Amino acid sequence: MPGLPPLIEEDVQTLDAALDELLRRSEASIALIIDKGGPVISQRGALENFDATTIAALAAGSFCATQAIAGRIGESGFANIYQQGEHHSLLFCDIDDNVLLIIIFKADISAGAIKYYAVSTVRQVSRQLQKARQRSPQGSMDLVSMDVADVSSIFKAKPRV
Amino acid sequence: MAIINQATRELQVKIVYYGPGKGGKTTNLEQIHAHVQNVQEKGKLVSLATSSDRTLFFDFLPIEAMAIKGFKTKFQLYTVPGQVIYNTTRQLVLRGVDGIVFVADSQYDKMAENVESFQNLQDNLKALKFEFAEIPYVLQFNKRDLPDAAPVEYMEFLLNNREVRVPSFTSVASQCEGVFEPLNMITRLLLNKFINQNAPKKA
Repeated sequence: MPGLPPLIEEDVQTLDAALDELLRRSEASIALIIDKGGPVISQRGALENFDATTIAALAAGSFCATQAIAGRIGESGFANIYQQGEHHSLLFCDIDDNVLLIIIFKADISAGAIKYYAVSTVRQVSRQLQKARQRSPQGSMDLVSMDVADVSSIFKAKPRV
Repeated sequence: MAIINQATRELQVKIVYYGPGKGGKTTNLEQIHAHVQNVQEKGKLVSLATSSDRTLFFDFLPIEAMAIKGFKTKFQLYTVPGQVIYNTTRQLVLRGVDGIVFVADSQYDKMAENVESFQNLQDNLKALKFEFAEIPYVLQFNKRDLPDAAPVEYMEFLLNNREVRVPSFTSVASQCEGVFEPLNMITRLLLNKFINQNAPKKA
């Protein structure tokens, strides 16, 4: 399974800019680009109000579960999932095999408007990720500065009293 | 597959705790969450469980540590629901996995479930187009304090009889014994795998 390609500065800047533009036009609260396995790739907006890491893990599970249901009712998948709340609403948009766009917005903003603006964001992000993939088809990493610490002590329990 | 963000010098890896139902996977995460020290940032433990304490979808614990000098390393620890009926859910959680801790229940009458779950892990990885041999994993024989615990040698014979044997650990997760050793070992295996995989090939 070819996963996400390594991202360089140019990629991250483009993804961040695409999300910034989406937030500016749509007035949504936060926008995330996440891997379908759960990790966050890019996050913008009022992040102090939301726990993006946990939202991403839950959103990935929820989206994948919905796609699994789609397969069982004869659909190839759903491009978007929308959940309306009292204060905030959610929109998940499928970008490609590996990546999802998550938008959280105030419930009084129209979902149609968010969907409309998200279309161009999905396109921009998808294009940039294709570029990254072409740059390193197998995936590579700059190892010059990679120096693994003593892993035996990365996770330590507090001493017992 | 781990996410490498060279712009922000960040590495994100996903470790999944796998094994039969009620074997102690969630307990491992709870103990790590309660007792870990010297990490840079510890997130909240999220549990999607039924009222009977069974994991319904997954448990999730994000932790940040400096595992590679100069790279912020974000570990995402997940558990899967162990019960047989939740297989589709297990496949979803396994998506993008980098390393696995297989938590086996040491009680004699759980051996068949251990073997079945281990086989199920291999089947699910295959369904996700992963090569089992390429995913680093370690074994954790849990519940060693129970009176009917099977000998370690027997469990090794059942679960660790491949050509290449993997590291195995004994534990009593409920008392936080033997919880951190498998986590550190799987971290070591998967970081080494990245480095070997990505090292520039010599001509």
